[in-house]
Amino acid sequence: MAQDSVDLSCDYQFWLQKLSVWDQASTLETQQDTCLHLAQFQEFLRKMYEALKEMDSNTVIERFPTIVQLLAKACWNPFILAYDESQKILIWCLCCLINKEPQNSGQSKLNHWIQGLLSHILSALRFDKEVALFTQGLGYAPIDYYPGLLKNMVLSLASELRENHLNGFNTQRRMAPERVASLSRVCVPLITLPDVDPLVEALLVCHGHEPQEILQQEFFEAVNEAVLLKKISLPVSAVVCLWLRHLPSLEKTMLHLFEKLISSERNCLRRIECFIKDSLLPQAACHPAIFRVVDEMFRCALLETDGAPEVIATIQVFTQCFVEALEKENKQLRFALKTYFPYTSPSLATVLLQGPQDIPQGQWLQTLKHISELLRKAVEDQTHGSCRGPFKSWFLFIHFGGWAEMAAEQLLMSAAEPPTALLWLLAFYYGPCDGRQQRTQTMVQVKAVLGHLLAMSRSTTLSAQDLQTAARQGTDTDPRAPAQQLIRHLLLNFLLWAPGGHMIARDAITLMAHTAEITHDIIGFLDQTLYRWDCLGIESPRSGKLARELLKELRTQV
Amino acid sequence: MESLLQHLDRFSELLAVSCTTHVSTWDPATVRRALQWARYLRHIHRRFGRHGRIRTALERRLHNQWRQEGGFGRGPVPGLANFQALGRCDVLLSLRLLENRALGDAARHHLLQQLFPGPGVPDASEETLQESLASLARRRSAVHLLRLNGYRENPNLQEDSLMKTQAELLLERLQDVGKAEAEGPTRFLSSLWECLPKNNFLKVIAVALLQPPLSPRPQEELEPGIHKTHGEGSQALVHWLLGNSEVFAAFCRALPAGLLTLVTSRHPALSPVYLGLLTDWGQRLHYDLQKGIWVGTESQDVPWEELHDRFQSLCQAPPPLKDEVLTSLETCKAQDGDFEVPGLSIWTDLLLALRSGAFRKRQILGFSPDLSSV
Repeated sequence: MAQDSVDLSCDYQFWLQKLSVWDQASTLETQQDTCLHLAQFQEFLRKMYEALKEMDSNTVIERFPTIVQLLAKACWNPFILAYDESQKILIWCLCCLINKEPQNSGQSKLNHWIQGLLSHILSALRFDKEVALFTQGLGYAPIDYYPGLLKNMVLSLASELRENHLNGFNTQRRMAPERVASLSRVCVPLITLPDVDPLVEALLVCHGHEPQEILQQEFFEAVNEAVLLKKISLPVSAVVCLWLRHLPSLEKTMLHLFEKLISSERNCLRRIECFIKDSLLPQAACHPAIFRVVDEMFRCALLETDGAPEVIATIQVFTQCFVEALEKENKQLRFALKTYFPYTSPSLATVLLQGPQDIPQGQWLQTLKHISELLRKAVEDQTHGSCRGPFKSWFLFIHFGGWAEMAAEQLLMSAAEPPTALLWLLAFYYGPCDGRQQRTQTMVQVKAVLGHLLAMSRSTTLSAQDLQTAARQGTDTDPRAPAQQLIRHLLLNFLLWAPGGHMIARDAITLMAHTAEITHDIIGFLDQTLYRWDCLGIESPRSGKLARELLKELRTQV
Repeated sequence: MESLLQHLDRFSELLAVSCTTHVSTWDPATVRRALQWARYLRHIHRRFGRHGRIRTALERRLHNQWRQEGGFGRGPVPGLANFQALGRCDVLLSLRLLENRALGDAARHHLLQQLFPGPGVPDASEETLQESLASLARRRSAVHLLRLNGYRENPNLQEDSLMKTQAELLLERLQDVGKAEAEGPTRFLSSLWECLPKNNFLKVIAVALLQPPLSPRPQEELEPGIHKTHGEGSQALVHWLLGNSEVFAAFCRALPAGLLTLVTSRHPALSPVYLGLLTDWGQRLHYDLQKGIWVGTESQDVPWEELHDRFQSLCQAPPPLKDEVLTSLETCKAQDGDFEVPGLSIWTDLLLALRSGAFRKRQILGFSPDLSSV
């Protein structure tokens, strides 16, 4: 308590000084500085109120002799009054100072002065005498016409900005850059006031004809903050303009998304999808510049986390949402694929962007082989020894996880000899950094496993042990080795689809999941598979039911 | 229902008293009661907003009161003039009391406690009085900030925010008065003309006549047949202007040519009277041989330049107005003797000036003069 009051005294001196410098915030510098400190000052006011409400008026004056000056200065700074709840908290503070029963003329005067300040906060602005007489003559009080006046002013300013934007040099009433900048500063405290939304939107969308950015940094930051916290509702086009004009805002939005993903429950793609759609990033990413920045940040995240499956899953969900948004976008602005994926061959990008639902089932195998060829060519053309080349191709490929999963399903479903191309594709997906020899070995292991599974699918009875034997075909003991993960996923796939699979599923999984990491991997696989079936609208009732049950049980275990 | 109406009556009286010195007799209990009544009426507004019959009954009661106080021109407009005002009656009362210096210390202290209780559990269902007041303060600052930084008066009066807002208020009030009494608007406007600054009033009327027709307010659904749009208010204005030649003359004199052209285009009923006025003004001028220009005899006569500007503006209006004007000018010219030589008939000279002006402008700009951008 004592420490609190010491802090308060320190802050008090700091703010008293600041307010004196700001005065009525009529210059560029004072306005900018005020805008930077609006949130902190409001916090200070709250703390002051908490302290003041415990004391009576006389004690307050003893403790903070200059309090009235401080509050008065705050009242005369229109930026402070316009911000969030500051005007309300100021009123509370002022009310604490009113003397219920003034004993002497000094106290009466104080009451009078406080009364004046309250009046100032709540009273009407002085317009021309004529206007005042007019409104009074019609029997209207400020409460009646302030909302309407504000609305008209906002619309008028917004249309001026729009005219400026459309007509450029032609318009007689060209808006001077200083005026536009001034408007953007003024919007900073008002961002969360819904009446001002049209003006904010116009400022973002209409960028006039100046070569450099006119709008103030504080404005962009304030808008972005409000968008992240859902305190303002802007159309996507305005948010896109925001991000295009102010890169830090886009970066901050991505970081905000990452934070949300980290702090939320693991392995729930539906939730990830929710967060991503919420952030407006997929729609914004239809603009290639934004897509590139977002993709770059995903790439960094992937490298930082050493290829964490959660990041891969996020990238896949994002890409899905992005492709959906791109299809809806359609209309005028159609950017070439090259602008989104500049380092990829156009044929590869085109093929990958297609979803399996766009290709007839009979052609899936063909398409997969084609993808495999293109990727293999891209990977093996790179310089040997460095992982960078393959990484680029792999990074592109993992955006579209559906293809890898389809390859696995194709391998399991067909009784024919597994095509090398598909084996390569899967081995690459799970182990991008493997050398040629390592990859070949993985492909051999997988082929063997597939052979066993085929045999098992033909027999009438299955046992979990058989499955375990099939899995043991590999010689690797490292559970994270690419081959291990790939084989594990193949086995899980088998369990879901094979006619007798559901009977041995639980036993098999118990045998497989001997570490927490593996269990998480299995959960991730099931969640991802269910999500994909949901999106594509394909599911067999039995497999779906099994997958859901298994997922539920495993989730309770971790 | 009757008790509700009586409640309304008593509150209206209370509201009227709240800005007089009578409040010096109020004690904290009175303040509390007054605020409770206000809160009750606000609740009524929310509850019966969509209930056509009750709403009409309440509004009718308010209008009756208004009429009894001398109404529609003989006295000030009461605080509650329509149903919508009930939604803000607590804020109205609060602000009046806050502004009233006559309120005693104890009562004032109690008032502040009631209005600003401090942070508490927010009532999600409706906005509290505290929130309404804070919101008003915030909007006030917003207007202040926008005015100081970046707001400019729009040279086109009909697009100027302050003018538009005043115009909207006028139209709304005319609608109220029109609902209360059929002849109300005319008397009301006449009384406003007597006591309000005339220049501003005329501008507001012009802007009001140019407002686009309103769509029905979304939160106020009335029984079909009762609802009126801006159209009613505009009609009342036109009717009043046409019935008051003195006002109309001042209207046409005070306002810029372009604005008048727009108004006349929009309300064709005004064009014959406007043209008639212009004709009268023209006939008062005579030709000064020495100076070679048309001049008036008295100081208040409209000078040639002004007359010319108005006709020029009218000629740039779309048909049928443009045609009407030209026809009128041709007729006057014919009546005067159909001279082609300048200096004999003002109508000839005007037509000559208009045609040559149009020709010159065409030459300079490279296209035919079209609609004025004003």
